[in-house]
Formats: sequence, structure tokens, C-alpha cells
Amino acid sequence: MIPVSRNRLSRLWRIVDPPKLIVASLVICVLLIGIAVSARFGTFSNFMNVLEQLAALGFVSLGQTLVVLVGGIDLSIGAVVTASSVLLAGTVENNPALMVPMLFAVLVAGAAFGALNGIITIRTGVHPLVVTLGTATVLNGLVLLYTLLPTGGVPFWFEEFAYGRVLGIPIAGIVMLLCFAATGIMLRFTGLGRALYAVGGNPEAARLSGLASGRVTVFAYAACGFFAALAGAYYVSRTGTGDPRVGDPMTLASITPVVVGGTILGGGRGGVLGTLLGVILISLLNNVLNYMSVSTFLQWVIQGTIIILAVSIFVSRKRPA
Amino acid sequence: MIRLTQIVKTFPGVTALDDVSFDAVAGEVHALVGENGAGKSTLIKTIAGAYRPDSGTIDYDGETRVWASPREAKDAGIHVIYQELNLFPDLSVAENIYIGRPKRGRFGLIDHAAMARGAREILLRLGHDLDPSAHVKDLSVADQQMVEIAKAMVGEIKLLVLDEPTAVISGREADLLFERVARLRSAGVCIVYISHRLEEIFRIADRVTVLKDGRYVGTRPAGELDRERLVAMMVGRELSDIYPGKILPPREAAPVLSVRNLRMPPRVREVSFDLHAGEILGLAGLVGAGRSETAHALFGSVPKESGVVTLAGETFNRLSPRVAIAKGMGFLTEDRKGEGLMLLLDAAANISAPALRGFTRGPLLDRKAEIRAAEDEIERLRIAVPGPLTGVDKLSGGNQQKILFARWSRACHRVLILDEPTRGVDVGAKVEIYALIRGLADEGVGVLLISSELPEIVGLCTRVLVMREGVVTGEVSGDDIDETVIMRLATLDTGAAA
Repeated sequence: MIPVSRNRLSRLWRIVDPPKLIVASLVICVLLIGIAVSARFGTFSNFMNVLEQLAALGFVSLGQTLVVLVGGIDLSIGAVVTASSVLLAGTVENNPALMVPMLFAVLVAGAAFGALNGIITIRTGVHPLVVTLGTATVLNGLVLLYTLLPTGGVPFWFEEFAYGRVLGIPIAGIVMLLCFAATGIMLRFTGLGRALYAVGGNPEAARLSGLASGRVTVFAYAACGFFAALAGAYYVSRTGTGDPRVGDPMTLASITPVVVGGTILGGGRGGVLGTLLGVILISLLNNVLNYMSVSTFLQWVIQGTIIILAVSIFVSRKRPA
Repeated sequence: MIRLTQIVKTFPGVTALDDVSFDAVAGEVHALVGENGAGKSTLIKTIAGAYRPDSGTIDYDGETRVWASPREAKDAGIHVIYQELNLFPDLSVAENIYIGRPKRGRFGLIDHAAMARGAREILLRLGHDLDPSAHVKDLSVADQQMVEIAKAMVGEIKLLVLDEPTAVISGREADLLFERVARLRSAGVCIVYISHRLEEIFRIADRVTVLKDGRYVGTRPAGELDRERLVAMMVGRELSDIYPGKILPPREAAPVLSVRNLRMPPRVREVSFDLHAGEILGLAGLVGAGRSETAHALFGSVPKESGVVTLAGETFNRLSPRVAIAKGMGFLTEDRKGEGLMLLLDAAANISAPALRGFTRGPLLDRKAEIRAAEDEIERLRIAVPGPLTGVDKLSGGNQQKILFARWSRACHRVLILDEPTRGVDVGAKVEIYALIRGLADEGVGVLLISSELPEIVGLCTRVLVMREGVVTGEVSGDDIDETVIMRLATLDTGAAA
């Protein structure tokens, strides 16, 4: 029998593992630098602005985390973000009454599209990289056939989703944090969450243990599609139109916080808390660099360097002696 | 050839080798035996320069040496062939043999023709005729081992370490391997041979060194030992009876599992049998006879072409692992890491996997109950693991296998299929696993035991089916069960049997 205290310690260690510690310390570094370079950085209102802006990255990386956890990868996220923003803004423009039903329809469509990715992946055995690259290309093509320019519009009240505040806290940020919390609870405390880890770690063993590995995989892709559609809706709310290029940078952007947060490509290990830290790190970093008037392109250079450094520290620690 | 004196090697928390001495001479086959964790792997890694001992000396070929790297040991003529072969499946035999030092022609370009000639010449010296241009992935595991040995023979070879080479090949292929090893021995190569299979040690070894718990137990000429004495040296206690007693199950009218005309070509062509509650039914045959495939078809993990499976009175045309498990059937596969364990998860999650529904309330997972159950199993099966939250990747083979036993003995109460349940497991753990199998049968579980180790089948089963080329060629029961009878059925010509 193992004393309870050791159980507790080891449980704590699972939550506060090396990759998260590294990302968390990087976040603290960025905070300190920010406070040093600008008086406005360390204010409540600046942090709330950051929280408002990081919602989209949060949604897509949350979805990507689930797919990577089951051993996949989703390169169609950007296409889903774009398609849902164009679809939502395009259909609602002349029928403001359809706002709420269309919002739900778009989220469901995003989930259905994700589920399709999952089904094709498990049925054909084709690598998800290829499957989602293919579906993304199809979807992007369809959107550009429909419109080449930003189009459509939404009722004013819907802009509250992106710009509204409750007690000074941005609504989009609250929704994103709730999504992270719900997913985190699902992963840690439900049978479904366990199955996601099991399937990601060893799909064959999971299947032979009677776990519904196919269904679990499809669920992960569907959730990813759902969150991508939510990010699309957020952009519509933020810009007031559906932009056929808005999702383009989101696919690759969604992967960064996942790997920085310690979820391993290949699946079976990781979680949403690390991803959230990754999202915060990247958003704060860009924020600080903006205050320092660093050009966007140099920001990319710095961001890329930090990603590789952070992940390589973690990997070299993990390797057995 | 090589002499290790008073080697000590410690890792954080463990002394892997404690004052171990060992010597082997040119032209001998020296068997190194001991249970898992006895220190065999550490010792061969020390010989091969992968580990540097904390203290003690290595004399090799007349001088005291300190290996700076495995490369240095290799250049001095020491080669280790591990169980997991180190080959490139998509390259040819010749390319693999010359992988470290390709033959170059003019302009420093690789000379494929010269490599093919050289490869053929080396293989002929081994007495093994293989096409140097064949892709390694198309070869049998036994042929791949030969490629590994040939690779070692490109440079100088003085000392060859074989780490459990027969764990992955069939009996006939093993005969061939022994013949090749004998050839190398007469060429003056010193061979260190590691195996769990005691029979083959008596067949090919000149001397035997036994390790236990990182300590040196003794070295004896193989001729002075017999099975009982060797086991006693390894386990440190007399194991007069490795197998628990056989108990004939009470004959009930209806079998718990019955299989009719199971087909899954090309490996399974005609399998029918009944399994009764409380029975340990053996399924013997050579590797490739279709035993594992039969198990997969039964369990529904691979779709069968035709056949009817009746489980607990219910007849299924199509089974899936989910349904099979729900009906009380379990399947411990032969591929512990590939199909059994979820190496990234902890012990508790691995044990509960097929019974996960028993640990959920609504959608929520009852982690406390899961951990409690795992603690019970760890205690009951005496699994050497720090706790239920330890990752299973850190456990030894025997303890990993016990985790899988814990998993399936919880999840299934009617039928358990065991495919090579003691593969790569040491003698002590084997004895415990045999007792577990007996215990399951006593609780009324029908056990289907697939094993390539005939002593195991003979020692445990009250009835044995023998398969050859996808067909059940015979059944023996009671006192008729013996190795010769089973071997005869396993090698019988199917044409004559039909």
C-alpha cells in the first residue's frame, strides 16, 4: 500500500509537470519584461485586452489539443474558421432574426465537418495530415468560389461576443476559459477523457480493451471542428463580416500552443492546461513586443525561436539517461 | 578472450551488478542466465562498452581495457545482437550488412556490386544462403538475425553476444541458428548466449554462468548441470514443482465457448472446438500455424470470414472486442507493448481499461475506486510497482505481464485467451503466472492457452489442441499429453490428415 500523501504528491506532479513549469516560467519572464518596458503593460485593462484578443487562438488550440491527444493532427482548422465566418455573416446579413439559429447551425456544421475528418481518417487509414489537408483544400476552394472578398454582416448586438465585458472581463475570454475548463474536466474526470488518452497512447491496445477507439477519435475531431467554428463566429463578431482569408494563419497557429504546452505529437500525453499556458505565453509575448514597437515580422522570428527553445528544453529533460 | 573482474555498477537507487566476475574464452559458447533483473543486460552492456562500471576491470584479448564508447568495443571485435533487431527494413540485405562501412568504388561512390559479392561471401561463411539484393522486410525474423550476425562479421569478430535470439523464432529456425552458432564457435569466435529457455542452453552451451539479483552465483560446465540444478541456482530455492497441479474441471453439459468452422484465410482454415468452464485448454503448434490468428478471430479483433462462435449460450456471427468483453471474454495478446499495455498511462488506468464502465458514475470517472482496485490487484498479484500511479513503461517484463493479468482477471469471468503469457518473463514470474492461470480456472474461467513452450502446455493443460497450417490437426487429453505427441501432430502433413 502506498501512503496517501505520495499519491497526492504524484498527482500534483502530473498537473505541474516539466513542460508546464517551463512555459509558466517563460510567461513570468515575459510579464517581468513587459512591466519593465512599459507602464501601461502591467495594467488590468491591458491584460483584459489581451484576454479578449487571444480567444480565437484559444479556441483553435483547444480543439487541436484534443486531436493531437488521440494521435492525430488537424490541418483543416483554418478552413473551418474561414468557412464558418463566411457562412454565418453571409446568411445572417439580410435576416438578422436568423442570428441565433445560424450560430448554432454553424457550430454544428463545424462539428460535423470535424467528424467527417475523423471518419475518413479511421475508415481509410490515411494519415490525418493528408486527410485534413485534403478536406481543408476542398473547403477553402468552396469558400473562394462563393466569395473572394469579405462579405455579409451580423446584427450589432452580436459584436458583444467579441467586445462585451462582464465586470470588466471580456465575454469572449470568459467563454474561452469556460471551454478550457469543461474540456479539462472532461479529460481528467470522465471515462471519455480516459479513453482519449488510451486511444492516443496505443490505439490497438485500446481497441483490444474494448474501448470504442473509433468513436473516441471521431469525437476529438468533431470537438476540434466545433471549436474552429466558434473561432470563426468570434471573428465575425469582431470584424462584422465574413472574411474568406481570416482562417489562413490559424491552422499552424493552433499547433504552437499545443506543443509548447507539452502535449506530445503522436498522442497519449498532455492536456489543456499546458495549451492554455502556451496560448497565454504567445499572446503576452506579442503584446510586449508591440509595446516595444517590434515589427510583426521580427515578432515571428522571436516567437519561432522561443517555441524551439521551450520544447527542446523539455525534450532533453525527458530523455532517459 | 574476455575476463571481467569484480564489476560493480550502480544506478540511482539500484545496484545492478554487485561484485560480478565473468570470463569467456575463444571457441566456446558461454550461456548467461538469470531471472529478469538479475543483471544480464547490464553485464552485456558493460562488455559492449555501453555502460562504464563503477569499479572492477575488463581484460579483453590480453589487455586491460576501458571502453570509451560502444564504437570502441565494436572496433575491437565485440558485437551484440539484441532481441530487437537493428536493421533497415527497406534496404537490401547487402546494404544492411555494410551499413556502417559501405564499400566504395571510384569517385567515392557506393559500389553495390562489390557489396553484393561481399555479402554473399560472408553469408556463405555462415553457411546461410540468402539473396543479398532481397529487402530485409521480406525476410523471416530468423533470416534477419542472420543478417545481423553477418553485419557483425564485416569487421573483425572475436566476441558475439546473442541476447535471447530464440524468443522471436520458431523451433526449426532455432535449430538452424544453433547450427550457425556452432560454425562460428569452431571458427574461434567466443559466444555469450543469453536465453530464458533452459533446454537450448543444454543443447549449445559449453559453460553456464548464473546471475541473481545483480550477484554472481556461479559458473559450471553445462555437462555438470541438469534442469533442476540450474533452476535452483537461478531462483535460489528448490523448485521441485514449477507447475501447479492439474485439476479436471467438472464436466458441465454446455461448454462456455464453442467454435464451429472458424475460417479466416490464409492463416485460419478450419477450427472447431469446445471450451468448458474451469478448463485449461492448450492450443499448440509451430509459429505460423495460425494460433494467434485464431485467437484474434475468436475475440473479434480481426474480422473472420466465416464460422460461428457461441459464448455463454449466445451465438454470434460477428464479434467485436467490445461485445466479447461485455460477454465476459478476455484476450491477453502475445504483443505486450504493441497490443497490450498503454505505456503512457499509469498502472491503475492499464488495469481498469476493459472494465472502465465499472468505474464510472454517469460520465464521471471514479478515480478513487479505480486506484483502490489497482492497489488490491498490486497486492494480490504481488506486482513490484511503487504504486498505482506509476507509469507501466517503467516496469520489468514480468511485472508488465502481471498488470495485464490483473486487467483481464478483473474484466472477464467466462473465457480468457492467453497468447504466450510467459514470453520474455523470468522463471520466478513464470511460476507465479502459472499459479494465476490455475487460480482463474479454479474460479470457473475457461482458459485457452496458446504457447510455444511445450513444457508449459504439458504442465498446465488437461486437454490440448494442435494446429498446423490453419487447421486443428489433433487433440490430446489427460495422460496422453506429451511433447513428442504434440510435436508429431504439429508437424503432420495436412494432406495426410484430411
